[in-house]
Amino acid sequence: MIHLKKISKIFYPKTVALKDVNLHIRPKEFVSIVGQSGAGKSTIIKILTAEEKATHGNIIVGGWDITDIKQREIPVLRRQIGVVYQDFKLLPKKTVFENVAFAMQVCGIPSKRIKNVVPQVLKIVGLKEKLDRYPHQISGGEIQRAAIARALVHRPKILLADEPTGNLDSLNTKDIIDLLLKINEFGTTVVLVTHNKDIVNRLKKRVVLLDSGQVVSDEEEGKYIL
Amino acid sequence: MSSILRVLKFATQDFFRNFWLSFVTLTILVLALFSINLLIIFNVIAKDAILVIEDKININVYFKPEISEDQVQAVKKYLQSLIQVKDIVYISKEQALEDFKERHKDNPKILASLDELDKNPLGASLLVTAKTTNDYPKILEYLSDPQYDSLIESKNFDDHKLVIERISSITQKVNTGVATIAIIFTLISLLIIFNAIRMAIYTHKDDIMAMKLLGATNWFVQAPFLLEGVFFGLLSVIVTIMIIYPLIGFIQPYIGSLLETDFNLINYFNQNFVAIFGLELLGAILINLVSSYWAVSKYVRV
Ligand SMILES: Nc1ncnc2c1ncn2[C@@H]1O[C@H](COP(=O)(O)OP(=O)(O)O)[C@@H](O)[C@H]1O
Ligand SMILES: [Mg+2]
Repeated sequence: MIHLKKISKIFYPKTVALKDVNLHIRPKEFVSIVGQSGAGKSTIIKILTAEEKATHGNIIVGGWDITDIKQREIPVLRRQIGVVYQDFKLLPKKTVFENVAFAMQVCGIPSKRIKNVVPQVLKIVGLKEKLDRYPHQISGGEIQRAAIARALVHRPKILLADEPTGNLDSLNTKDIIDLLLKINEFGTTVVLVTHNKDIVNRLKKRVVLLDSGQVVSDEEEGKYIL
Repeated sequence: MSSILRVLKFATQDFFRNFWLSFVTLTILVLALFSINLLIIFNVIAKDAILVIEDKININVYFKPEISEDQVQAVKKYLQSLIQVKDIVYISKEQALEDFKERHKDNPKILASLDELDKNPLGASLLVTAKTTNDYPKILEYLSDPQYDSLIESKNFDDHKLVIERISSITQKVNTGVATIAIIFTLISLLIIFNAIRMAIYTHKDDIMAMKLLGATNWFVQAPFLLEGVFFGLLSVIVTIMIIYPLIGFIQPYIGSLLETDFNLINYFNQNFVAIFGLELLGAILINLVSSYWAVSKYVRV
């Protein structure tokens, strides 16, 4: 599903964010990418969404070699990937419903389908009752669930979550992780970036540990030690 | 279809949400267009004024009373053969007398003294019009040939050249002035529009980033801003038309009395409506499109 081959990323002039990263993620896998701040976790996500270009190496997403993706093909890629960020906030002037609908409008999906799909997805994330609320009227956990709903409206095969629980308390964190597991059970490949040890150790899923831009361990049912 | 409607909706929403910015942008655009139209008005009036004056220039050749009509006709024939001459009108002795009487019909003394003469004291004359104002000296030169000069009592050449030159020079000065103003306004509107759009886009930076990360095409992000640019262009030209027409309606009577012509500024604008306002519309839209495209493309590259 995702194949990174000897990826390096050097930010001008000489910050090495990633160095010779090899990573193969199979369909329907749930992978946690862990590592200290500055290890290069977000850079991997950005390369997968074509926000950043790798300096060296090849990237294949869903069988598509996006190493030299063209500007006008990027939207096509992004519609196949759902992304949730720690700080990728909802648009403050739109309601929960509108925020989720926005993701579909942007891709030219007819209003009728939007009206159909959005409540369904909001139901999955448990926000069915709050679709008319504005972001400032709901909790941090709910904001993140709305963001996950927004990432899911295209029924992506891959969900990338970059520290989605970074700003949440442990209760909300557990909810979000459970939601990600549920989405994974439905058949979506999930890549979770985090530096929360408790989460990783409880998950008992594959863990990739990054340090200074390099993969230092990659284990099935791994634990986050360090 | 639904995406076109959405683009339209986003564009109109944005226009009204940033009302004051929209208002200032529009005002500057209108000022730029207005000064361009002033330039046009001034030029057509000046051009017509020069035409009117040029029309008044001619040479009156008065022959001695004893010169016969045949002799005058011979001179006329000669003048007609000159390439500088455009038109000649022959005024006979009788006609001259008529005209004279007509001119002095309120002065019985002059009329009485005329009656005392048994012969017509006036000679025939030729009214010569040259092709261009620069041709008159040459014609006068030909006429000073003794062969003709002996027949001629006097030549009357009203040289309006000085007036024409003065009008030309004033026109040129005003043109430079107004053109400078028009250029300044155009530049200011370019700057303001560019900055207004940049500000608007800056406030929408998060939306744009979100749109892009959610898989929006560049077109989808750009289109509302470009459409808004077209709105601005259209609206500014409409407002300009609404200002210009009352203005020329107000000026029109003064042109008539000042220049003694039936030149009609309103007709001129009506006849050239498409050329004048169509071009201005194109220009205004172009300014808007270029600046919004420029401003947005910075954020679209995510
Ligand atoms: N746009 C950028 N320009 C320059 N350096 C960057 C940029 N983005 C990230 N970096 C650097 O790359 C390294 C990896 O960053 P990142 O992938 O964000 O780390 P993480 O997400 O693991 O905390 C860091 O040293 C960071 O400073
Ligand atoms: Mg990060």
